Order: sequence, then structure tokens, then C-alpha cells
Amino acid sequence: MARITIDPITRIEGHLRIDVEVDGGSVQKAWASCTMWRGIETILRGRDPREGWVFAQRFCGVCTTVHAMSSVRAVEDALQLEIPANAQYIRNLILIGHALHDHIVHFYHLSALDWIDITTIPKADPARAASIADGVSSWPGNSHRELQAVQGKVNGLVASGQLGIFAHGYWGHPAMHLSPEMNLILFAHYLQALEFQRKACQVVGILGGKTPHIQNLAVGGVMNAINLNSLATMNMDRLGTLQSLIQEMIPFVQQAYFADACLLAASYPEWFHYGRGVTNYLAVPDLPVDANATHFDLPGGVIMDGNLGSVRPIHDWHDVAIRAAVAEDVTHAWYSGKGLQPPWKGETIADYTDFQADKKYSWVKAPRYDGKSMQVGPLSNILVGYASGHPLTRKWTDAAFNKISSVNGTKVTPEAMQSTMGRYLARAIRSAMLSELALQHWQLLTDNILKGDDRTYNPPEFPSHEIVGVGLHEAPRGALSHWVVIDKGAFTNYQAVVPTTWNASPRDEAGAPGPYESSLLANPVADPEKPLEVLRTVHSFDPCMACACHTLDADGREIAQVKVL
Amino acid sequence: MNNGAIMTTPRTSIIGLGNVLMGDDGLGPMAVEVFRSEYECSPEVEILDLGTPGWDLAVYLYGRDYVVIVDAVHADGPPGTVHTYCEADVVGRQVQLQLTAHDPGLQACLAQLRLEGRAPAEVTIVGAIPESCEFGKGISPKAVSAAFVAAGHIARSLLQRHVSCRRRHAQIEADLWWLSGLRLSAGQLEERAAGDRKG
Repeated sequence: MARITIDPITRIEGHLRIDVEVDGGSVQKAWASCTMWRGIETILRGRDPREGWVFAQRFCGVCTTVHAMSSVRAVEDALQLEIPANAQYIRNLILIGHALHDHIVHFYHLSALDWIDITTIPKADPARAASIADGVSSWPGNSHRELQAVQGKVNGLVASGQLGIFAHGYWGHPAMHLSPEMNLILFAHYLQALEFQRKACQVVGILGGKTPHIQNLAVGGVMNAINLNSLATMNMDRLGTLQSLIQEMIPFVQQAYFADACLLAASYPEWFHYGRGVTNYLAVPDLPVDANATHFDLPGGVIMDGNLGSVRPIHDWHDVAIRAAVAEDVTHAWYSGKGLQPPWKGETIADYTDFQADKKYSWVKAPRYDGKSMQVGPLSNILVGYASGHPLTRKWTDAAFNKISSVNGTKVTPEAMQSTMGRYLARAIRSAMLSELALQHWQLLTDNILKGDDRTYNPPEFPSHEIVGVGLHEAPRGALSHWVVIDKGAFTNYQAVVPTTWNASPRDEAGAPGPYESSLLANPVADPEKPLEVLRTVHSFDPCMACACHTLDADGREIAQVKVL
Repeated sequence: MNNGAIMTTPRTSIIGLGNVLMGDDGLGPMAVEVFRSEYECSPEVEILDLGTPGWDLAVYLYGRDYVVIVDAVHADGPPGTVHTYCEADVVGRQVQLQLTAHDPGLQACLAQLRLEGRAPAEVTIVGAIPESCEFGKGISPKAVSAAFVAAGHIARSLLQRHVSCRRRHAQIEADLWWLSGLRLSAGQLEERAAGDRKG
């Protein structure tokens, strides 16, 4: 039996530690621990709810806009304040831009190197690679010439012996088995991705005023001025720029990213059998298409025990059940308190001990839905949509299944999606859907403005009695909710139940593990010194514990370690 | 206002890194804001508080001629010490380990940009040693002083490279909204920090 500790595990600012016990080549027990205290909520108590979003946006350096959105939605929910249609569409376009950016970064920069062995690229035949790529996609960046150029860059890198950031990948690991040509195709897109990340940022920047911290939100709507006759405001010129950016992003998302995820799935079909984990899924509705948010372009719902037939739709943000169902347990988290606490009554009182596997071992609380551990993220999003017959979800999910099958006959089903590879594929399916929806929401905004509607903001009024609200958002990493209590125009409580809290949840009072922990059970580990397979499953959730401090280490201290005991 | 140059690529970027809600970790964003209030630059210079962008940093380094990054650093020395590093100091000496992407991902971002031929021609890192980076705790007087010193380092770095930058005749207000919502002029803030140091 080997005990492996990986700390930190994220390729972005990491405060996630994973401990696994390995026996007979697979994981027997797992613990997920967040090693950094956030205590974010305490910062917001006593503040004016109109400025809460500005602070909430700094919870996390990577998921900035999502916390800003959830914060204004929570206050609007408490006030029962509707926002104008233009404000919904502008917010939606920001959310889509942010999500596409996030998903592209996750696939290529934060996780692709778990699957791609770049040291084999010098052996690839670029002409063959181009013909493989042409078989699944019409992406123009797959030309023989382009792939040859990328191979040349990698050759230079490998020959120099200076692989830089790539120096310590798990190259040559037995679990890496893409052909040199496939590695070349995927790595070429890895390099091309940056250009489209920039475009996604520009979409957010045009609407939000600045990136990565947007400036245009307000409780009651957005602060974008709309005037078709003014140069300084949202006008046809700006709308045209937005449309072009969206149109430039669509081919990369659909023909490079989506196609690559299908190729990866066809090449590693065994990963549809690992990483199933918690099979209770939660997704919240998002991308409202009307001012009062009665209809949504992304469906929400709850699936229990992996049974797609049991899906309970969440029709809108007024859903009563979710408000009663969500509660947090701190039995194994470094906080004091007992039993399940609903977020509106939640407390955040630190009670640190050391890492004690049987007692307290994480700074993440254990959120539960009707007492159950839940998985959130693009997979929940896709399964809920597929189960409820949502046409756009079905269209892109079926397209993915067909494409994978066309590569080498691998058959994928919604059942098989409940796995490590399913989470990668779901994120790509969601991205393809969002790329289509981007244009639709641009059209909704443009049509509404051309109709003569220039309203973007309804001023809030705060009552003198206590009110509560919840702001729901289907963020790139899954269902996000901010829970607020407001009294006399100030927050008296503020709790954020974030996607990574659901997924990285520690065990609860009953000992039931969270999604990371249970998804790692039976995960293969060929070499405990190089636990690549553990990374694949944890990275499939797109972990982000980044809501925290980072400092640059100028003296080159050790900052990541794999410890085998 | 330099607003992140949404559609065009600026030639020079001044980037503050760090989480403003985490005490001294916010000294990078504070330093660039102090710099903005004290100095006037040509329009080709953008000034950005990027928070803790991780991999997303690459987007803001893309295609620049020159980048100055202000950040809290772990280094030997008393809190509040400010040093200027060149790229090789930080990237070259970094211990490269499995799973790494050290915190802001600077090394990874630069390496990728270099592969694509889009890396900035030169990067300067102005690093200051923090005292305490705790959530919800204010910035320490030492870090405030360091932010002012760092602002001076930014100006010097620009001038050495003939990027136009001059002290404003009249200081504009530094927008340090995260410090209890106070909007103090940079001068007032430094006075306060000086007072705290004496006290």
C-alpha cells in the first residue's frame, strides 16, 4: 500500500492537496483538502449591498465575473427587483465570453498535457497529421504547413534540451498513448488557443469596460449607456465589433476545441470507465432570455443516483426546493459548528487542526443538497439538459457521440458520460452550445436596442426590515450561489457556495465523501511516483482553489511536491 | 483612462498582481494605482490591476514590447524591501518541479508566448517582500511604503527605456477602493503610513 500526497494539484494557483492510498495499482481511499483559508464572507458583512459585487469579484483571481454576477443577482433576488432586458443580454454575453475563455484555457493549458506527450512530436508525420485532422474537422489551422511549423518549434525545444515549462511533464508515462500525429494536432491547437482567449477577453472587455475585473455591473442592471447616435456609448459600431469577435471565435470552438475533445475521447475510451464518483448532479438555469427571467437558454435541474429519468427541472431562480435543500456541514472542515447549516444561517468560524484524515482536514465546507453530496460543472449541465430533452444540448451531445464514433467506432452514451472523460467532453459540448448562444444573445440585444429600448438599469430601494436572497449562476465550473441577508441597507450575512466547494467537498457527518474523493476510487495508478492518472481525474473537474493569495517565489523555493509514503 | 486596451495591443504594460483582499498581497495593485496617480504616461502605456490571473496573465503579456510587473515576492530580507528583477532572475532560478505552475503562472505564460513568438521583448519584475497576507486584514504600513517605493521603480524602469513618463503637476486621487472603501489621495495615504510607522 502506498500513500501519495500531491500538493498543490492545480495548474493555476493551487491550494488543493490530494491524498490517495494506492494498492494493487488503483486508488483505495482518497481525501481532498483545501489548504488555504478564505473566510471571504466575513469581508462583506456590514457593507452596502450595492457595492458587494465589487468585492465579490476579488474572491478569485480567475473566476472574477462569476462572483460579481452572483452577487448582484442575490441582492436583486432579495429585493425582488427585475432588471431590463438589455441588462440581461449584456450580462449574458459577458458570462458567455468568460465561460468560453475559461473552458478553452482549461482544455488546452490546464489539462491537455495530462494526455499529450509533446516529446513524441518530432516523430510525427505532419502530412499524415493534417489528413487525420481534416477527417474530423474543417479547421483551417490544421494545414500541413501549419503543423510542420509547430513541429519545427517543438523540435527546436526538444533539441535544445530546454523544455522550460514542459520539462517536467510525465513524458513517456505508460498511460500516455496518443500517436505522434495526434500529439502534434492537439499541441498545435494548444498554441493557437491563446489568440481565441484574447478574443473572448475582448468580448468581456467591450461590455464590461475592463478585464479581468468588469466595471459595468449594478444592482438593478448594468451601467452601459445605450445610444445609437453617440460614439461614447453602446452603438452599432460597438455591436458590430462584438459580432465580429463572436464570429471569429465560433470556428475555433466548434472545429478545433470540440473536435479535439472528440478525438481525445476516441483515443482514450478507457477513461469513460474511470472517475464516475458522486452521481447526484445539480445545474442551475442560466442565460435568461427575457427581462423578468422566466425563460432560460441553459436549463437547470437535479438528477439523483445517476438516474437521468429522475431529473427534476429547476425552471427559474425562484425555485423553492433549492432554497430549502442547500446546507453545509463542517464535521471534517476546519470550522466550528454542528449539523447542516443553511447558508443564510451559515457561520464561518475557523477551528484549525492539522490534517487529520479521520477528523478535520480541509478548509472547504461540505455542501449538501437534501443531505446528499452533489457533482456540479459542465457534466451536470449537459446531463440535466440531455435528460430534460433540451434541443441544443441534444444537438451538440449527439454530434459529439457521432463524431467520436466516426473516428474509430467508440460508442459513447449518456451513461458513459458519467466519468473522467465525460467531464472533459461535456465541457467541450457546453462550449459549442455557448458559441452558438453567443450569437443568439447578441441578436437579442441588437434587436431590442433597434426596437428603441435603451433601458439598462432599474434603481434599487432597500427596505428597513431584514430580507434574504440567493443569486444563482451556472458558472464555468458549475452551479454557483451567493446567499445574502440584508438589514437596513447592509449585509448582515453573506455565504458563497462555489462550484469547487461542491466538488472538492470533504466527507460529511455521515462519512459520505465529496465528488473528487469518490471519483478517485478505483482510479488506476501505474507508478506511484508519477500519479498522472490521479491528475487526469482531478483536472477533469477544472479545480480552482484560486480564491486566495499568491506570491511569486523569487528564491526558487519548492512549491509543488509529490510525496510517496 | 487606460482601460485595458480592449481592441488594440499596447506597447508597454504596467501590471499589478495580487489579491487586494489579502492584506499585503495587494501591494502590487496598490503600487500601480499609486503610480497612476503620481505619474503621467503616453497613451501607449496601459496600467492594469490584474489581481491573481493565473494562466490568464498570458493575454496581457501578448505582443508587448515591455512589461513591468509589480508583485509580492518571497525573498530573504525584511518586509517592505523592494527589489527590481529581470526576467532571468525569476524565471531562470525557479525550481522546476512536476505539476508546477508557480503562482501567477508567469514562467508558463512567458514560455508559451515565446513558442508563439509573442512574448514581450523585456520584462521587469518589481518585487516587494510582504509582512502578512491574510484575508480581510488591511495592508501593513510597511507594504504601503513599499508600494510607493515600487511606484518610483516603475517610473525609473520606464525612463531608462525611453518610455515617456513624468510626474504629474497635480496628483490625481488614487482609487484604492478596497481599503475600507476609503478614497485617499496618495499623499494622504503615505502620510498615514508614515504616522503608523512612527506610532
